[in-house]
Amino acid sequence: MSEHLRWTRNRREFLTDAFCGFGSLAYASMTSQSIAHATTVNPLAPKKPHMPETAKAKSVIFLFMAGGPSHMETFDPKPLLNKLDGQKRPAEFGEAKYQFIKDNALLMGTKRTFKKYGQSGIEVSDLFPHQAEVVDDLCIIRSCQGDMVVHSAAQYQCMTGRIIPGFPSMGSWITYGLGSESESLPAYVVIPDPKGALEAGSPMYLNGFLPAVYQPAMLRPGNKPVLNLDLPSGVSLGDRRKTIDLIRHLNEAGMVGEDPEFAARMSAYDTAFRMQTEAPEVFDISRESAETLEMYGVNKEPTDDYGRRCLLARRMVERGVRFICVVSGGGPGNLQWDAHEDIEENHPRMASQTDQPVAALIKDLKRRGLLDSTLVVWGGEFGRSPEAEGGKGRDHHNLGFTSWMAGGGIKGGTVYGATDDIGLQVTENPVHFRDLHATILYQLGLNQDALSYMHQGRKERLTEVHGNIVKDIIA
Amino acid sequence: MKPILVLLTGLTLLAADSEIASLEKYTPAERRHWSFQPRKQIVPPAVSGTTNSIDAFIRARLQKDNLQPAPAADRETLIRRVTFDLHGLPPTPQEIQAFVSDASPDAYTKLIDRLLASPRYGEHWGRHWLDVVRFAESDGFEYDTHRHDAWRYRDYVIHSFNIDKPYTQFIHEQLAGDEMNPRNEVMRIASGYNRLGPLRKNAGNQEVASSRNEVLTEMTNIVGASLLGVTLGCARCHDHKFDPIRHTDYYRMQGYFSATFDEDVPLTSEEVRAEWKKKTDTLTAEIKEMQQQMKKLTGSAKEEMGKKVKATEAKLPAPLPSLFSTANDYEKATPIHVLARGEYTNKGAKVGMRPLGVLLPPDTPELPSDTQNPRMKLADWISDPENPLTARVMVNRIWGYHFGRGIVATPNDFGRMGTRPSHPELLDWLANQFVEGGWKVKPIHRMILMSETYRQSSESPIEDTAMTKDAENKLLWKFNRRRLEAEEIRDASLTVAGRLNEKAGGPSIIVPIDPDLTNFLYKPSQWAVTADAKEHNRRSVYLFQKRNLRLPFMEVFDSPDLQISCPRREQSTHAPQALELLNGDFANAMADSFAKRLEQEAKDNNTRIDLAYLLATGRHPATKEKAIAQQFLASGSLREFALAILNLNSFLYVN
Repeated sequence: MSEHLRWTRNRREFLTDAFCGFGSLAYASMTSQSIAHATTVNPLAPKKPHMPETAKAKSVIFLFMAGGPSHMETFDPKPLLNKLDGQKRPAEFGEAKYQFIKDNALLMGTKRTFKKYGQSGIEVSDLFPHQAEVVDDLCIIRSCQGDMVVHSAAQYQCMTGRIIPGFPSMGSWITYGLGSESESLPAYVVIPDPKGALEAGSPMYLNGFLPAVYQPAMLRPGNKPVLNLDLPSGVSLGDRRKTIDLIRHLNEAGMVGEDPEFAARMSAYDTAFRMQTEAPEVFDISRESAETLEMYGVNKEPTDDYGRRCLLARRMVERGVRFICVVSGGGPGNLQWDAHEDIEENHPRMASQTDQPVAALIKDLKRRGLLDSTLVVWGGEFGRSPEAEGGKGRDHHNLGFTSWMAGGGIKGGTVYGATDDIGLQVTENPVHFRDLHATILYQLGLNQDALSYMHQGRKERLTEVHGNIVKDIIA
Repeated sequence: MKPILVLLTGLTLLAADSEIASLEKYTPAERRHWSFQPRKQIVPPAVSGTTNSIDAFIRARLQKDNLQPAPAADRETLIRRVTFDLHGLPPTPQEIQAFVSDASPDAYTKLIDRLLASPRYGEHWGRHWLDVVRFAESDGFEYDTHRHDAWRYRDYVIHSFNIDKPYTQFIHEQLAGDEMNPRNEVMRIASGYNRLGPLRKNAGNQEVASSRNEVLTEMTNIVGASLLGVTLGCARCHDHKFDPIRHTDYYRMQGYFSATFDEDVPLTSEEVRAEWKKKTDTLTAEIKEMQQQMKKLTGSAKEEMGKKVKATEAKLPAPLPSLFSTANDYEKATPIHVLARGEYTNKGAKVGMRPLGVLLPPDTPELPSDTQNPRMKLADWISDPENPLTARVMVNRIWGYHFGRGIVATPNDFGRMGTRPSHPELLDWLANQFVEGGWKVKPIHRMILMSETYRQSSESPIEDTAMTKDAENKLLWKFNRRRLEAEEIRDASLTVAGRLNEKAGGPSIIVPIDPDLTNFLYKPSQWAVTADAKEHNRRSVYLFQKRNLRLPFMEVFDSPDLQISCPRREQSTHAPQALELLNGDFANAMADSFAKRLEQEAKDNNTRIDLAYLLATGRHPATKEKAIAQQFLASGSLREFALAILNLNSFLYVN
């Protein structure tokens, strides 16, 4: 069947397309051969990856450092930059375009100090003492690149591969490719920073032209993290069960014979009910041990918020959630990693909120045997300029910056790629967002070309044309 | 093929110059693609038992596969179907009663006439067009700045459908209204079409050429998607991979927009504007000053200052009314180059303006890049009766909204990757009728609605056989049942609950939402809820369309994403829909009102059940349904019963 027809509604299509719910109901698992014979197939049922032999990861946790953390203050030490502090950039380093600072800007050294850690001896700055402890599990990619130097467009590219809104996010693509392992939780969850939204807004996380079944659940701060999961006041769970039964009985009374579409609708109500009763358990971290809570920095500042959200990510991975994005930074730029005014005020503050929880997540996944099957990615939509902005800050910089990957079959304790001696340009092994996306898909056993969706005359993919799989970092 | 009439006046053959892109060749095979062929003069086949042309085409094709159409739908089903189809609203019990008991032979014709004459028609069919042109009322991207006057374009579209404006005029006004008559408000509003796409703005260093390229891309691509049904955008980076649209064709189409720029035409006097500016500047300066001070403050002093900032912001005068329009500025016109990989820094040869080469005689020259009123010329070419795409694309859209599937199932793509027409001759016949009838949409509705094909049941006695031959019901051996669209579910709920505010037109309404959701906005203060609560019960087409925040209710029921053209709504089924209809604020507010209405308008459970079914499903409950409802109401609440009714298949689907 042509993919063009995926939105036409008829019985046969309901077998392949329209089945409901966040949860994988007890339907036949879908393979291309079985579609024609299965009676009902849930589009969120777990699917076999294209390349089961290379698939290492089952879930992805994206620790999104919104606003753009500086590579020079974190994972990419630049002694020469300190020497050139206060000088104009020497011509041999080439050109860069920034959003705010002009050509007359002066280079700025860093106040951070770097030390070698772990068996690998990788250098990490004093902003991240906790991540330094797990550096042997990390693959530091010092050669990341994007095309845009403004937040909104760069965030779209980081999440969807495109610099404009309207395209599906990687979370939606991956859910489309692999389905969900969870029966009562959403397959794809975004846990935004409660301090506020980001420049690109919710379109960067959304399903774009993919069916609404692949949209993310956006968790909200407070006691009601999932929209509409709580009963209206004055209605008991028993009442609600009765109402759902009434809906079922009235629907069945009006039906003639079998009707897969209506059966799907009723299953959606059952899934909804199950979510109401079962999902709240995942949000209740009170049964975690005191040691675990302490490790994540829960119940103490400034780590409580990000610690809770990282812990929640681990709990969701345990329950089969496919893709979780845990955002650090939200609201005005200075509450993100967007250190225009003063890098020495912004980065220590942002690092103090996230460093311990991030390291705890790695340690916790590892000791539970989940790190091998969970790909953890850390990074922002760009890095920061070697030049100073307004004397103490740094502007955006997309030509070379650092992200890291861990677990999910990635070689820990390695450094990949490099920038020049002032952190301006990539000098070896560039990794564009599309390469990062291709590599994430590859670790999940998904073929970037096969994971496509026909949309208005084009076979759309996450990697648009093609991304390079960074094979050198795969264990 | 016979190349279509070329409406290029004052042709100037550009001198052979290596700087200018050469004219491409198109092979006969490329020109032979079905949708590029001229429409055929078609005589409907003779089929015994019908005099209706549409039915003749459909039945002749069914007969080939030895299939028969379904019997006629009953009158209750029919009036509910056609009322939702034309108005996006349910019929009232009185309307149902009147139609069911009307024994006159023209009862159905009268019904259609009544529905087409009502302003509710334009509100529903205008909404379809707004999907296609990706209408929204904010810029998108970081600032997602509100377009305070974009609602005028929405009202323009609704009005155009209501008065049955000829489609060619509709095209001209939208593409080139400002060129046709810059002093006419309607024309200026219509040409807002050219700037409906998302718009990226940023602070700091401006990449003027890059931003301009993004704007030109939006203007060009939407013409292909909405008017021509070709995936023009695919040729932005290189020759189209599947269709004979060259890289140069793309930029020659873009040439028509090289002088087009946004223009907000003020509707107030200069004095008023000066006064507004003075007030705004003073307050903005005060706010800036306070924000500077705030940086130095801490604790409660900082909070205090924050409140002062908010209070001052609230004093900022509302934006002055203007027309959201476009205008040509020939002096500032962007030279159009073929851009390798679509990158503005990668300039190739220069081009003038010309429509798609595959539809023109070989070697048709370009118009020079300084051509005056260029968009009018493009509109002339698109609306030429001999343009093979325009009429086909529009009648196919109309057909698709009526039947749930176009004759071409990919309404924005009539190229090779699109689907082939299921009934090519019917498509041409309809398109011919459309053109010969002066490009009016309402007569096409009438033709379709009067056919027995449209009036047949959505259940077929030959279901099992037919499913083996045509599982997707492409051949229309029955009517396609459909789920209501997001707006229809909301509007129908308001109607059934007795709360719909039928007021038409005017500035868009911002309804209250869960405050946690505005937290997903970069600037939560943008979500300024409309003060008058009665306005919150307006039809969905009048709700503010914000790119960075769609109502969750709309989102779960597959409303378009407001970023790119949406030719056809998805109809997905998933658990968040159930949660929205069971636990959502809107659904529960509607259930409250619906229950109260039932209580007031009917005196006992028996009559309340009848009324609930009539209002929500357009029919009386069956004996079994009534017994189940009676049993529930014996101990359950009327409110939960009302909520259940608004969750029923019989409410959410149209047969």
